[in-house]
Amino acid sequence: MLIELKNIHKTYDNGQPLHVLKGIDLEIEKGEFVSIMGASGSGKSTLLNILGILDNYDEGEYHLAGKLIKNLSEREGATYRNQMIGFVFQSFNLIGFKTAVENVELPLFYQGINRHRRHEAAMAYLEKMGLTDWAKHYPNEMSGGQKQRVAIARALITHPEIILADEPTGALDSKTSVEVMELLTRLNREDGVTIIVVTHESGVANCADKIVHIKDGLIEKIEDNRQHHSSMFGTTTIMK
Amino acid sequence: MQDLFTEIWESVRRNKLRTCLTGLAVAWGIFMLIVLLGAGNGLLNAFLNDSGDFASNTMMVGGGFTSKPYDGLKQGRRIALTDHDADLLKTGPLADRVDLVSRSVSRSGYTMTYGRRYFNNVTLNGTFPGDIEMNRVKMDAGRFINDKDITERRKVIIITHLHAKNFLAGGTDYDKLLGQKVKVGNLSFTVVGVRHGRENEDDRDLYVPYTTIKSIFGLNDEVDEITFSFHGLTTEVESDAFENEVRTTFNAAHRAAPDDRRAVWIWNRFKQNLQMNKGRSILLTALWIIGLFTLVSGIVGVSNIMLITVKERTHEFGIRKALGARPGNILKLIVTESVLITAFFGYIGMLLGMIACQILDMTVGQSKMEIFGQSIKMLDNPTVGLGTAIGATVVLIVAGTIAGIFPAMQAAKVKPIEALRAE
Repeated sequence: MLIELKNIHKTYDNGQPLHVLKGIDLEIEKGEFVSIMGASGSGKSTLLNILGILDNYDEGEYHLAGKLIKNLSEREGATYRNQMIGFVFQSFNLIGFKTAVENVELPLFYQGINRHRRHEAAMAYLEKMGLTDWAKHYPNEMSGGQKQRVAIARALITHPEIILADEPTGALDSKTSVEVMELLTRLNREDGVTIIVVTHESGVANCADKIVHIKDGLIEKIEDNRQHHSSMFGTTTIMK
Repeated sequence: MQDLFTEIWESVRRNKLRTCLTGLAVAWGIFMLIVLLGAGNGLLNAFLNDSGDFASNTMMVGGGFTSKPYDGLKQGRRIALTDHDADLLKTGPLADRVDLVSRSVSRSGYTMTYGRRYFNNVTLNGTFPGDIEMNRVKMDAGRFINDKDITERRKVIIITHLHAKNFLAGGTDYDKLLGQKVKVGNLSFTVVGVRHGRENEDDRDLYVPYTTIKSIFGLNDEVDEITFSFHGLTTEVESDAFENEVRTTFNAAHRAAPDDRRAVWIWNRFKQNLQMNKGRSILLTALWIIGLFTLVSGIVGVSNIMLITVKERTHEFGIRKALGARPGNILKLIVTESVLITAFFGYIGMLLGMIACQILDMTVGQSKMEIFGQSIKMLDNPTVGLGTAIGATVVLIVAGTIAGIFPAMQAAKVKPIEALRAE
């Protein structure tokens, strides 16, 4: 079992306590393609942040690749994120003053890998994303789809256990959205990368093999979607 | 290490305005400090230029008028010092502290001629060999008055280099004048020495042996001034006490009230020197305080911009943390950037400051002011020592580092999720 969540609770306390996650139990195997769906405020982003060790939780247990992720120091958290998790964000989160290839290199920089090898690896992943010619460009010179592909290359470069994608198509048009989702699907099928996508778009969720529906901080149902019939707008389009 | 510098270079290159603002604050702080200290030093040098021109352990005594009746004598009586008064210092209770004693008498309004060249209204100053030490007379050529001149009443004269230059039509080979005869009034003197006249004070007195001036003008035993040196004083209080002792001794000898401050006047150079030193140190302290406050404003500038920088880059740090940057990585990044920027611009500010000091030296430093008929340099050597300049720069760099550390620690501590939310 790659990911094991047991009775996860999370309460935000901004003046008034807000109980966001009310006991989540979830298991995800290696090589799965899972999407987490839910309305805004359902707690799906919070769940993703906990899975990504970006945020802590109050109660329960979270095991990632056999390691208990609880009360980690900033240092340990950083190391686990670096080695086990690749992030893909809605707003890409590329560093504006770094070129595409430098952005992709960054996780390896924090692993202490030397410049030459970093650059080689980054170029290899950019090639895989079809972005070799854009390696020396800055993010503001690229389209949304290109930026997201750079971000995916950056997420993949450390060979993480899981890719966590938070609304990866949220800032993209429908055509680019399809491309990005196809890319993620291919990575899952061909390279066996474990992918967890958080979205509120049913078309995006439909790409996954398993859809976890979250409502009011609890898992409403887990849907087996290996047939990919879940989208009410057809199986190949992403409705914007 | 190279990776770190590349990181910083990228961030500096892509954030030129921020970098320039930080740099400006730093460079300006150092620049102002150095210019201020340089100008202050110049001012001090200019004003205290003369303090080295006489021995500080001397006093001068001259005759005055009594300001109160005493011993049956009315006030307003003129006190004339005589040759015997010198003995008051050499015998009496003051003798153990007094070293050299010199008397002088002067006569002015003569014309000195040498060949066709002449000076009007010159002053002949009859004095003793000890004067060279007490008044720090600098000889450009030849010798000062010696004991033999005094005992033999020789008609020898010490002229100043200002006279000598004129006599030699601008030449400076003063030795040529030694042994030459000059006429003062209708008397002929042999030049035995050329002394360096203080240009600031238009100092052109001609020195002749005391005994010579007495005999050729047929003067009585009256003395204009008695100058003496002493030892064993350190504080202003001691100096005041000693001055009082001198006063009561002279007053007693001339039947004036012991506390009459006008019967004889005393110029206490020792005390004046003490006060001058005190003034100098006060001025220097004031300069340093102003300078340090300027430096502080530079430091505040740096911390301010570091604070803004860290705030502005919080989102970026969030991304870095999500990708695996440890708090130490973030801290190192910010602090190193802060140190490098401060050091670089501090160095530039220091260089510019020192150049500005040189320019000041070449312009204002060369001009002179007329004050009470004396021409005084406005600034003399308005520069700062290299050690001081480097010290100030190092202080700023250290302060810049500390200024960077606090916001950096703040940034390093922020949870990645919060940093990512920041925009």
